[in-house]
Amino acid sequence: MRLLAEVFNGPAFAIGITIGLYWISLHVHSRFPWANPLVTASMVLVLLLYLLHISYAHYRTGGQVFSWLLGPATVALGVPMYKQGVKLKGSLRRLLVVVLAGSVVGMVTAGLVAWMFGASHEVIMSTLPKSVTTPIAIQVSENLHGNPAITAAMVLISGLLGSIVGPSVLRMSRIQHDHAIGAAIGTSSHALGTASLLSHSEVQGSVSSLAMAMAGVITSILAMLLSWFWH
Amino acid sequence: MVGFLIIVGFELLGMGLHRLGIPLPGGVLGLLLFATALATGLVKVEWVERTAAFLLRHMLLLFIPVMAGLTQMSAELRHDGVALLASLVVSLLAVLLTTGGLAHFLLRDVKIDDLSALENE
Repeated sequence: MRLLAEVFNGPAFAIGITIGLYWISLHVHSRFPWANPLVTASMVLVLLLYLLHISYAHYRTGGQVFSWLLGPATVALGVPMYKQGVKLKGSLRRLLVVVLAGSVVGMVTAGLVAWMFGASHEVIMSTLPKSVTTPIAIQVSENLHGNPAITAAMVLISGLLGSIVGPSVLRMSRIQHDHAIGAAIGTSSHALGTASLLSHSEVQGSVSSLAMAMAGVITSILAMLLSWFWH
Repeated sequence: MVGFLIIVGFELLGMGLHRLGIPLPGGVLGLLLFATALATGLVKVEWVERTAAFLLRHMLLLFIPVMAGLTQMSAELRHDGVALLASLVVSLLAVLLTTGGLAHFLLRDVKIDDLSALENE
């Protein structure tokens, strides 16, 4: 029993179980398209950790490998950015204006609503980067003296919500152009939204991945300017 | 493997520049430098294409530990829960509609050959 507990609490088990659950949840997703693989995998993971008496801190020793890989994954966005940038050369400047407008609106509304509900300065700052991809959002949150954990939660939930309801909201608003859908989802719901678009439309997914990279860069520049004005 | 080395190299470069005092996040600096290197041909797309596609295709896997970690901070989330949820929903809808609406007007005349080039990807 002792030995078993040692294995369960080690990094190898954490890495194995994470990849295993990811693989299973992808299969579940292909059978039941409504089952979001991230939600399935994380829910089962939380349940398993609880049943096997593994503390989250112990799981983290192996699990942090994946969080670390989010850094290279951010840099890797340069490839779709470059490839789609070449293809969309003619409309690049207009796309930049669109994403800039979306990013400003996102930061202002997120901060304003949190402020109206009486949130503390730290919490307000944590909401500002909530539309961009996790590794960028966490760093922006740190630069703004927010709470990176709150930011990560906001990013994940808005990404999930955006990828689930985003396309229907746009359809109801009669926004049907592939480029417009891609730009809106990429700017509001980063990688999670992009992944869901890619599963049915290459065009929407491409524009979305370019928009999400642009939104990440624009938001971190805006946050930098904000922290300069604040002091 | 070479692709991974190049990508991690750019991340380290970005983090180094951030340490030297450039106030943008290290990852973003790495991304900007990497995209510039691709655009100028300093780094050939073929060297990094497969690694980048692999990392981006399995991005959901990388989020699983963070997502599971949310259960650890339920106290913080409960304290500001309403403010955070309201901020999230309002801001999400605002971004979707501004970006989508503006793109609808600005990008509707994007040329057909742009589209077919993308479809053939």
